[in-house]
Amino acid sequence: MVDMAQTSDEYMDGAKDKAPASRFSMARTKGSDLTARGEPMVWAMGGSLAFGLLMISGFLALIFWNGFTAFWPKPLEIVTTVSGRTIAGEPLRTESYHPGAEILAALEPSVRDAIIDNGGFADRTLYRIGNYDFYGNDFEWVSAYEVKSVATPKDLMLVERQEWGVFIGTLISMDADGQVSNRPTLDALNAAHERTRALREARIAIEKGPVGDINHEINELRLSIRRAEIKYGTDSPEMIAAQEHAASETVRLTKEFDKLSAQVLAARAAEQSVTVKVADIGGDARDFPLANFVLYYFANDLSLAAKVQIYLERWWEFLSAEPREANTEGGVWPAIFGTFVMTVVMALLVAPFGIMAALYLREYARQGRIVSLVRICVNNLAGVPSIVYGVFGLGFFAYVLGGSIDAMFYPEHLPAPTFGTGGLLWAALTLALLTVPVVIVATEEALASVPRSMREGSLACGASKWQTIRWIVLPRAMPGIMTGLILAMARGAGEVAPLMIVGVVKLAPELPIDAIFPFVHLERSFMHLGFHIYDVGFQSRNSEAGRSMVFVTALVLLALVLVLNTVSIIVRNRLKRRFAGDKF
Amino acid sequence: MAIAARKDELRPGAADAHYDPTVYHPVTSPQGTEISIRDFKLWYGSAQALYGVSMEIQKGMVTSLIGPSGCGKSTLLRSLNRMNDLIDNLTVSGDVRLSGQPIFGPQVDVIALRKRMGMVFQKPNPFPMTIAENVTYPLKVDGVTNKKLLAEACESALKGAALWEEVKDRLQESALGLSGGQQQRLCIARAIAGNPEVLLMDEPCSALDPIATMRIEQLIEELKSSYTIVIVTHNMQQAARVSDNTAFMYLGRLIEYGETKNVFTRPTSKRTEEYVTGRFG
Repeated sequence: MVDMAQTSDEYMDGAKDKAPASRFSMARTKGSDLTARGEPMVWAMGGSLAFGLLMISGFLALIFWNGFTAFWPKPLEIVTTVSGRTIAGEPLRTESYHPGAEILAALEPSVRDAIIDNGGFADRTLYRIGNYDFYGNDFEWVSAYEVKSVATPKDLMLVERQEWGVFIGTLISMDADGQVSNRPTLDALNAAHERTRALREARIAIEKGPVGDINHEINELRLSIRRAEIKYGTDSPEMIAAQEHAASETVRLTKEFDKLSAQVLAARAAEQSVTVKVADIGGDARDFPLANFVLYYFANDLSLAAKVQIYLERWWEFLSAEPREANTEGGVWPAIFGTFVMTVVMALLVAPFGIMAALYLREYARQGRIVSLVRICVNNLAGVPSIVYGVFGLGFFAYVLGGSIDAMFYPEHLPAPTFGTGGLLWAALTLALLTVPVVIVATEEALASVPRSMREGSLACGASKWQTIRWIVLPRAMPGIMTGLILAMARGAGEVAPLMIVGVVKLAPELPIDAIFPFVHLERSFMHLGFHIYDVGFQSRNSEAGRSMVFVTALVLLALVLVLNTVSIIVRNRLKRRFAGDKF
Repeated sequence: MAIAARKDELRPGAADAHYDPTVYHPVTSPQGTEISIRDFKLWYGSAQALYGVSMEIQKGMVTSLIGPSGCGKSTLLRSLNRMNDLIDNLTVSGDVRLSGQPIFGPQVDVIALRKRMGMVFQKPNPFPMTIAENVTYPLKVDGVTNKKLLAEACESALKGAALWEEVKDRLQESALGLSGGQQQRLCIARAIAGNPEVLLMDEPCSALDPIATMRIEQLIEELKSSYTIVIVTHNMQQAARVSDNTAFMYLGRLIEYGETKNVFTRPTSKRTEEYVTGRFG
């Protein structure tokens, strides 16, 4: 070591005219090949990792920021323009833009010069003005040079309505059963609102519960006639009996239905007995039933606690309610539920298939050319575009399998398909097919990593191959298999393209699991968060309205995948501890 | 695995000319022969690993197999309970019998055969289960579920392996928490729990420290009254200490098979002498 230090000192002193004293000098040679030392590659590798991490964290930050701030109540502004127009709205974002030549030409010279001085750029702000039923538009851009003054009056109100989206304006009066009160207090308004909303919910419960049941029963009666016809022939005694039975039952059901309808009508009248008169910023006053207001607040007159309350209420509505306004408002509960159920069904389908296939490949099949070929094919299956799986799922599962099931078990429903169209089961099967290579590959690796000594120990005890697999190999491989399943679930939960063809819909009338026998309806079409993002962001009438929903829904989808994965990882770690002891 | 499919050896007689026939002078047991091996040959693919090994393993005695690495001693041992079946492209020929019943052949029930032979491996390989589950694994394999029976078998096997006193209070703890020597004795307990006739040991002490080795050797001494033991070892002192008969193998051939003290003190074969005196190997 000492010698070497000396050598390098010598070398450094006389670097210009003297060759290194030793071939093994530790000193860095100027101009030597950089790759020989490897640092440039370390920089490249570290840089790639850093770049990747930056992209991912930036992406997550974008979704988190936009997702978490979407429901925070923002102040409302009244903008008076130079031309004398007034606009009331929620300022969403400001950006700079390039006004066109025509616009510039029409401006006052001083304003135009200011813009030209600014390199031709002007600022503009996007306002959510709401009142779609008043203006036919939800959003408006206001350029900075148009603004004369901005006010934030405390009596400006924002209302989220059951229909027509947001209303922004002022409250004039409330008419409760004929008692008109001008400018009612917030407490009075809240009390009336709570009462009418409760009435509304009761009415919807009747419509969904007993009324839905009666509709279901009437449909069943119709089907029983058809069943008898198919089984015993047209005008057979059985069919006539079914018809008579149906006729008498229908009379009873119709009576009940009429009774319920009357109830519903009365409830509707009661809930509409309270109306409020509101006016937009231009003074256009209209009456609305208070029950149609989902949420309202005076945006410029909110304490922090009130803001937090509104924020949480909106989150709760988002997570627990059904969507309205073409999915741009309301909640995503059916989509969360649909995604969850589909992912779980997929995991239940893919786990046994994938694990058994991998067990055969690794433990039983004679390792050779054919098995290698199968393995290559399995790996390549993972690379097939997912939309191809979707087409296959529709063509084979839905039309062929589902069609046969319909013909065999549900002939009375035809021509309306039961299983013969896209549905939860077919979507889950399609995704299972899509993710089975992941499970097979992971399981094979996990099986291969089980030490040979374990198998030998078991076989030497006189265990059969299956006993060895069941008691020794599978427990040891379980954590690795779970990892594969987690990957498959994450992939499946985020997949959208194939689902669009095999069962996901924009708006599903019923959840796939409910109180009607047989409780789990795998044939039903369902909603999915991934598709919901696509639908809200790109298929709704006003993509600006769906913008915040896209982020929030993406956030929920991420959270759902995270929850599913966390649960699986906890299960995996438990297994690890249970089966592997403290050795690894 | 093909059995006796190849009557013709790949390297016939000519190569064998350099090798003298096996020097054969083992002590015979009053109980007779446990395993008889006649002209046993084995190929891994096209590479021959055993060249016509013939020997009688005596009942109730300890037989050690010694020889330099790659001489085929482990291969021979692992052929006795057909552990080599796990290897693809394996071919064997010859006649190997356990108490007169063939070991190789299409009608042999390999699982029943393995139940008659316990095996202990080079490295302790306890299963990732509790100590009790490890020991009673052979009974579980047989479908025994009676808790009382299992507990009795567990205790007697652990006592047989001289481990009972050390683990009796933590039978329900993971076997992986035991020390290396304890793990190996646990594996011995597991091997004898199924009441085998033969105990096969494949370098059972190579991963252990001297004290643990000593305990295993004492154990072998105790076990030999109840089992026929075949032990592969590369430790010649160990072979000299524990075994009654010693077989020296070299390059797939059985060079000398004889009474241990004779093999180590008065070897007949020159190669054996060179090996036991440390001149090669």
